[in-house]
Amino acid sequence: MWRDLGLAVLVLLSAAVESNSTSPPGKPVLLSCRSPEKETFTCWWEPGSDGGLPTTYRLYYERERLEGVHECPDYWSAGSNSCFFNKTHTLIWVDYYLTVVASNALGNATSDIFKMDVMEIMKPNVPENVTLLVVETEDSPYLHIRWEHPRNTDTESGWVTIKYELRIKQEKNNKWKEYMSGTQSHFSLYSIAPGGVYTVQVRCKLDHGSWSEWTNSTNVKVPNYVQNERSFWILVATLSAIPFMAAMCILIVKRENVKQCVLPPVPGPKIRGVDFHLLMSGQSEDSTNALIINQNFPLIVGWKDQMEEYLIVTENDIGPPSDASHCQKRKKSLIIPAGFCSDWEIQCKSTHIQNDCAGGTKNETGNFPKNNKSLSGESLSYMEPSKLQKQQCLGQNFVNTEATDPSPLNYDNAVKPFTNSGYVDIRKHVENTQEVNVKQVDYSRVEDVNGDNVFILNNKNLAFNSSGYMDFQRQEEKLSEDYSRVKEVGSNNVVVLQIQDMSADTKNPHATGAHKMGVCTELINSEYIDTIPAPPLM
Amino acid sequence: MARFWCAVLILACLELSTRVGTAPICSYGQAGCHTPSLADIFDRVIQQSSRMHGISSDLHSEFEQYFFPSKNLIGKPKCHTHGIVTPADKENAQRLGREQLTEVILRLLGAWGDPLLQLYRSMSQDQNQDFNHYSSNKALEISDMVHELRDGVAKMAEKMKLSGVLGNTVGYISPEGLVPSSSFSFYKHGELNSMDHHDLLYCFRRDSNKIKNYLQILKCTTLPGLDC
Repeated sequence: MWRDLGLAVLVLLSAAVESNSTSPPGKPVLLSCRSPEKETFTCWWEPGSDGGLPTTYRLYYERERLEGVHECPDYWSAGSNSCFFNKTHTLIWVDYYLTVVASNALGNATSDIFKMDVMEIMKPNVPENVTLLVVETEDSPYLHIRWEHPRNTDTESGWVTIKYELRIKQEKNNKWKEYMSGTQSHFSLYSIAPGGVYTVQVRCKLDHGSWSEWTNSTNVKVPNYVQNERSFWILVATLSAIPFMAAMCILIVKRENVKQCVLPPVPGPKIRGVDFHLLMSGQSEDSTNALIINQNFPLIVGWKDQMEEYLIVTENDIGPPSDASHCQKRKKSLIIPAGFCSDWEIQCKSTHIQNDCAGGTKNETGNFPKNNKSLSGESLSYMEPSKLQKQQCLGQNFVNTEATDPSPLNYDNAVKPFTNSGYVDIRKHVENTQEVNVKQVDYSRVEDVNGDNVFILNNKNLAFNSSGYMDFQRQEEKLSEDYSRVKEVGSNNVVVLQIQDMSADTKNPHATGAHKMGVCTELINSEYIDTIPAPPLM
Repeated sequence: MARFWCAVLILACLELSTRVGTAPICSYGQAGCHTPSLADIFDRVIQQSSRMHGISSDLHSEFEQYFFPSKNLIGKPKCHTHGIVTPADKENAQRLGREQLTEVILRLLGAWGDPLLQLYRSMSQDQNQDFNHYSSNKALEISDMVHELRDGVAKMAEKMKLSGVLGNTVGYISPEGLVPSSSFSFYKHGELNSMDHHDLLYCFRRDSNKIKNYLQILKCTTLPGLDC
């Protein structure tokens, strides 16, 4: 019983003690300080527990270059639990050491020292009066944004530099787009979507300090320009339709021409001179004739002419070798184009060249070794006309030898040699020595005639007299006449061609001899062999 | 081949003649030299000082993060430039006048040339700590900038004197006369340790901010315009 009473008393007493306990205050905490314009600053603290008793808070500070401890000059301007330092108490680039002391009847509590420099705590107020304006230009509208600097900042003296930043959001998007504006208090946004709603916010900062808060959102709606655009496009469409229609009309009217231009008729296969329809109709003779006639055979004509010219074959007198003055006549040889050896047969028969030639060549061979230094064991091949006859359509060289007698040699047999492809053209030599100069043709000597249509010409003994000329033109692949000098005319229808030496210096020793002999000696060396390459036959 | 060399020569000549670069400030007004206006000089100088302050501020905060992460109080660093009287608020700065303001700027710049060089050397030599290894470049950069800025401000002062906005009381200030070099012994003799580094960085961050601010005030009192 007494125990229960004691317990009750204890409980009551403890309750009474609890309700009446006080304690020294808890430790306050300095939160932050802030200077909005670099001329004043404010600091805030958070009080600790007050210990049940009324507690007062005092802020004390020490400052660089200032002796002693000072108290906060203004506890009220900035609200509760704050300290406001006005201009006179604010110095930049000096350190402040702040402490807050909480005190009540039972004791004190001191916060930690808070070190700060005004330079580091700058954070301006928000910019003001943000206005949006949609500027309508001809081509495209743009958004013009304006604002003002925070009220209490002095931007004119250069004491602070304010930099701005803004962010814009379109209604549909949730993303902000940020733009730096530098020190300008306006900004233009181009290429805005008509009919869209834009939201803008601005903030600023001082020097290297912290950014301010964002302003409240400002909205603007861009008017709809669809109407204008639509009318514009209608106008463009109508204007472009007119020339389009005109072009279409022209095309339709002139469709034939257009068709020809765009889709030209594809030419069918055609053979010149042949009528396709004729062929189809089965008149084969005409077509085959046409095919043949279409071939170009110019040589035929020429040959015929030449044939007419050169059908005359004369014999040369065989004079004594020493008789220089004895001009020998030249024989004209037959020019027989290769491939037409059938004709050659006729002409061969009509002349007695073979025999004469044979005789002449024999003499020649006898004399040549003396006169022709170049002759050195070269064989003379003798071609018989009979062989020639057989060899039809072979060989391609026409050897036109104009045989002039090297002194006593008889060059009547100009038409020797060959290989069926060569012809030897022996010209008549005018007996009149005076006239010799008029028409003088130098001839080269055929040195060797092979059965394989090879003419070996030796030009070393060519005389290049002023009175004579050397016509040594070899034109390949043409139907022109090639001339090579006949070096020697063998007895058995052999003409030895001489490779022409164009050098004027070469003097034919024979020439000296020719002087003695007169003009005729020149002629000795003035044989020429006219080579006509055969036309390509089918 | 000749053509090739011809082309090379022509290209070289063109390149030399059309080279686009910043025109040097010609204080003597030489012919062919593009002399910038006073406003241009101001802009350049202010930009330079702003950049300088930014780099030194970064360097200081990095330093603190690396060496003193707990953010406890380090003590009360004393700067060797505390002997130079500088206005600490707006009214005092405006009251000072252009000539004195210019002089203060030049004194500050002159006082920091040598210590920054020492700082750079000390940081680059100290290979033990990664911070010094990677951040010594910044120290070199701000050291160079201080020298350039001093030359720039001197030229600016000359131009101001020529245009009459500045009185002649601003004489030539020799670096030795500004701050006796013995004051630098303030810091330890011989090598600098981390604490010295920290103090130097701390002090320079503040002084560079002062320089930048004074230049801005100077500009806006001399050439009031849109930028102020």
